[in-house]
Amino acid sequence: MITKKKVMRKFVRAVWVFNWFNSCGFTELCPVVGSRWDMERFGMKAVNSPRKADALFIAGYQTPKSIKRAQQIYEQMGNPKFVFALGSCTITGGMYWDSYNTIKRLEDYLPVFMYIPGCPPRPEAIYDAVFKVFEHVEELPDK
Amino acid sequence: MTAIEQEKKTDIVEKLSSELDASVVLKTDRRLWVTIDSSKVVDTCLKAQQMGFEHLSTISAVDWLEEGRFELVYHLWSYKYNSLLSIKTKIDRNKPSISSINSIWDTYAETCERECHELFGIDFKGNSNLTPLFLEDWKGPPPFLKDFNWREYTLKELYDEENPREKAYFEVKK
Repeated sequence: MITKKKVMRKFVRAVWVFNWFNSCGFTELCPVVGSRWDMERFGMKAVNSPRKADALFIAGYQTPKSIKRAQQIYEQMGNPKFVFALGSCTITGGMYWDSYNTIKRLEDYLPVFMYIPGCPPRPEAIYDAVFKVFEHVEELPDK
Repeated sequence: MTAIEQEKKTDIVEKLSSELDASVVLKTDRRLWVTIDSSKVVDTCLKAQQMGFEHLSTISAVDWLEEGRFELVYHLWSYKYNSLLSIKTKIDRNKPSISSINSIWDTYAETCERECHELFGIDFKGNSNLTPLFLEDWKGPPPFLKDFNWREYTLKELYDEENPREKAYFEVKK
């Protein structure tokens, strides 16, 4: 029987990440890939195609134009798939709250699995969020 | 600037003034300004290009609200003279329309004009591709107009006062 736990364990074995980063989101999260914080030691890897990815990391402010592309990426990803929203700009518009061209509620556009606040979030916060996914899976019932 | 360079610059100013049939002003070392009538824009740009100002840097617009006019500025760079020529022209703010210069600079001019059209609502006659560049699904007025209150528009269109998360935004001074 395929339980949710089994499906989630597939995801938890290794988290392959597709990044959709606008503006400063990319530069602020580069250290996560680098040797100092090194996300590969947790089995996380940035992949170059959404079809290979388990998780979608969204960072930076999203505009009505860019969120459409994010939706297309999300649709291309195979199940199970999870969206992580990184940073306040992505979640609520952040410091661009009064701009006419930013997204104010990300949950209207994509099913968000985890919100990681911060401007930008520290690498530790990202690992903490991913660790919570591991915990979440262990807490799921076996049946 | 040495004396020889200064002499060269004054030469360009005189040459341009007679060629473009308008008074060219030497603003600083490398900046030349010329103000022309909006009907002569294609002619002037073509002449300037033939004189060596072959690189179109950008087209920018200024909204003069009190005057009721838009000012369009065409920035042309010359590798020959190492100077920037700004061609300025004013058009009516209520029915902003001007001839496109895509016959001279083709695709790049089209992109610049698309931007001006999107942000200021200026119509470029002869440019067939004036589709939105940055703003998709935009229903409001052109956002760069000075009489467009973007904060009021955003609060009205994109926020919900009933939502507890968004309530605080409505208390910000407008």
